[in-house]
Amino acid sequence: MVVGEMPEGLDFLVIGGGPGGYTAALEAAARGRSVTLVDRAGADGIGGTCLLEGCIPSKALIEVADLRHRSLDFAGGALGFDSAVPPDLTRFQEWKNGMVARLSSGVRSRLTKAGVTIVAGSFTFTGPQRGVIELDGDAPPQHVEFEGAVIAVGSTVTQIPPLPFDGETVFDAAGILDVSELPERLVVVGGGYIGMEIGTAHRKLGSDVTVVEAAETILPEMPQAAQKHVARRASKLGIEVLTGHTAQGRDADGIVIADDSGATRTLPADAVLVAVGRRPATRDLGLAAVGITADPAGLIPVGPDGLAAPGIAAVGDVVAGPALAHKAIAEARVAVDALCGRPAAMVSTAIPLVVFSDPEVAVVGVTESAAQQEGMSVSVLRMPIGASGRAATMGSTDGVAEIVVDVDTDAVVGGVLVGPHASELIGELTLAVEMAAAPADLALTIHPHPTLSEMLQDTAGLASDPTI
Amino acid sequence: MSSFEYRLPDVGEGLDAAEIITWHVSVGDAIVPDQVLADVETDKSVVEVPSPVEGTVAELTGAPGDLIDVGAVFAIITVSDEATHEPAPASPPSPDEGDPYATMAAPEAETAATAQDGVGEGPSAAGAGESDALVTPRRVLASPATRRVALGLGVDLASVRGSGPGGRVTKDDVHRHIDDAGSSSAGSEPAVADDPPSAATRPAPPESRDTTVTPLRGLRRQIAKNMVASWTSVPHITDFREVDATALVAARRTVNAHLADSGRDEKITFLPFLVRAVSIALATSPKFNASLDMEGEEISYFGPRNIGLAVSTDAGLFVPVLKNSQAMSLVGISQASEALADRARNRTISSEEMSDGTFTITNYGSYGGWLGTPIIRPPESAIAGFGKIEDRVVAVNSAPAVKPILPLAVSADHRLIDGADMGVFLRTLTNLLEDPVRMMAEDF
Repeated sequence: MVVGEMPEGLDFLVIGGGPGGYTAALEAAARGRSVTLVDRAGADGIGGTCLLEGCIPSKALIEVADLRHRSLDFAGGALGFDSAVPPDLTRFQEWKNGMVARLSSGVRSRLTKAGVTIVAGSFTFTGPQRGVIELDGDAPPQHVEFEGAVIAVGSTVTQIPPLPFDGETVFDAAGILDVSELPERLVVVGGGYIGMEIGTAHRKLGSDVTVVEAAETILPEMPQAAQKHVARRASKLGIEVLTGHTAQGRDADGIVIADDSGATRTLPADAVLVAVGRRPATRDLGLAAVGITADPAGLIPVGPDGLAAPGIAAVGDVVAGPALAHKAIAEARVAVDALCGRPAAMVSTAIPLVVFSDPEVAVVGVTESAAQQEGMSVSVLRMPIGASGRAATMGSTDGVAEIVVDVDTDAVVGGVLVGPHASELIGELTLAVEMAAAPADLALTIHPHPTLSEMLQDTAGLASDPTI
Repeated sequence: MSSFEYRLPDVGEGLDAAEIITWHVSVGDAIVPDQVLADVETDKSVVEVPSPVEGTVAELTGAPGDLIDVGAVFAIITVSDEATHEPAPASPPSPDEGDPYATMAAPEAETAATAQDGVGEGPSAAGAGESDALVTPRRVLASPATRRVALGLGVDLASVRGSGPGGRVTKDDVHRHIDDAGSSSAGSEPAVADDPPSAATRPAPPESRDTTVTPLRGLRRQIAKNMVASWTSVPHITDFREVDATALVAARRTVNAHLADSGRDEKITFLPFLVRAVSIALATSPKFNASLDMEGEEISYFGPRNIGLAVSTDAGLFVPVLKNSQAMSLVGISQASEALADRARNRTISSEEMSDGTFTITNYGSYGGWLGTPIIRPPESAIAGFGKIEDRVVAVNSAPAVKPILPLAVSADHRLIDGADMGVFLRTLTNLLEDPVRMMAEDF
């Protein structure tokens, strides 16, 4: 240590202001810890990728696009809604930014009330229970010593060399959600959930949309039922989907893509969204100084209690598993328990995955194939969404409900929902999985009529023997 | 190659542990599916535990004499990855259900959406990057709230017996597990010197070379648990009679003469008469062939008279059950009960043959006993004990006379059965035994 580096003693340090970070901060404060939260953007960074530039802004755009599209398209357009008015994205941006700011300030005020100190700067570990915060502006770096720390720095968007982000034509998801002028022709590179969500919203707002996906199918991580319904719907909406294609670069006319054989062509584009993945933002954390080695993908290995090293936990996108806010939040609670010396482990068994595509996709628990690999004997109860009267009244009959049942224990162990509001309906299935509900528990629970939730009751009812 | 953790299946019905008798394999042995790994002694019988997979024995947990909890790791078997992809066999040794405890190393991390599950479900990987080593055990069925309770109490959920359907574990099960563990460990630890001795504290055994301490295992352990459960939950009343067995002795002689005359090389004991008499008396006193359920607040009256017959064996007491005794002849009862007793003595009797009893007979006369106080076997409501028939001096017409006397005791559940009920039942039983011809009056 050189003179002038007298470290300031901190109790509980949280690195990152996203859902994992702010949850850890609030939980630790509630346990009486003195909490300091460091985020590169300081108070402006509270909410993280999810709230400020990801989940929340994209859902706002999807909602607006859906409103417009549904009003025009309802009953095949036969009801005569006026299609003349073009969407005004400037007004959308004002509304969305206000809404995001309100939510972020809500989280900030909770942190403030809990006594959490928010510091703007970037943190680097320098030794066991030590680190340095490079503060914004001209302030000298602040050396700190901490009792416990939570790494919740999240992830950054993956850039591909042929199409570097320029903020004018080539955007990441956050960038495209901020534009005030609807692109006439949008090319989406990456047919995963972000690409399909934003691409579909743009199509519904009026853009011509082409999705370029290297894999053989869109939503490659999702169950087949989901891929099939979303692809079919995309085609109906007029989205061009080019699977087995990769982006090669740009030329004067637009984006150059190549198919499996190497043959290239150019797609005209006013805007390009590159959404091919995210990478944990663990590179510049100085992990070596605390004996942590991230894996080649940048993920930090942790134990069941979330600890990566003595006194240091990691949560959210920087640890294995899907990069989801609700996973980060659950992990943050476990991490705080561990750092406060309490028994700590994830007590939940299922993390729901949701895609706000059209139709929506939601998956929870084990899939049929995963169950079979584990040697479980499962049956799958399946019903098309078209069987739902409520779905018919909504004009949204594409989709399916699937419930995976462990035959030996008669317990619901997973499920796939594809259809309107699947993102909401998956909550009931998640609870069923957690509680090890029998299909009969769902079937004998009275659901309101006419609703989409009845689909779960009816699907579960397929398990019962009608002769009983 | 990956590891298969074989957890001890429920090799009986509702058992919670088994004692290892013999290992049939050693570490390093190559094994095939269904090859017997070990003999284990459960509370009821000795059972062979076969391997559900093909592979090489990597570890055997426990030595002969060790008590292994159902659901605890029993053997670790290295299986080839090819084998890993095959679904686990559907029929492990448990007769009635799949093996809910077998765990298989997941070859692929298609568990991305599965929460890191640290709560007591087998070993957890140290890091996410080690998915190859990540054993993804079959999930113990329990709600998150229950998991949190288990976590807080440091309980391995996989070791808790679930009382719910399909073995679902409730919060109560976790607490019960703690209570059970607490009481068993309290018994094995010497009393702390500072603690004043209390009625509940067992004195430490004297340290002497003459003292032999053996673990409480297998059948003896189960008998102990059953006796305590009965004695502490059922308020017993016991009443006694001395039955004039003159006619009974004559009747048996007649039946055996009949068997000899018809060229059959068999004789009957007094037991068939006792079973027959009890069976008839139960029909007229249904409360004695019933079960009281405090939790459900109901009383079940049983139709069949399934008579449990206490059989003493080298290992301890067995109670095979003579089903539908009311429909059997004296000779039929004799043959069936002999067969059951034989199977109990050589420990080939099945759990089914020892279940569904509605009343029990114990014959302590066989080892010279006179009067006893039998302990009821819940959920039954009563038990009859018979002593040895001996000549006794009794008063006949105000004068002493010598007669063969059968001493008889009946214990009954006083929650269900009043003293007056006991009087009626014993009078019926006594009348039938003092004049066996009365037994002819009832349906066979």
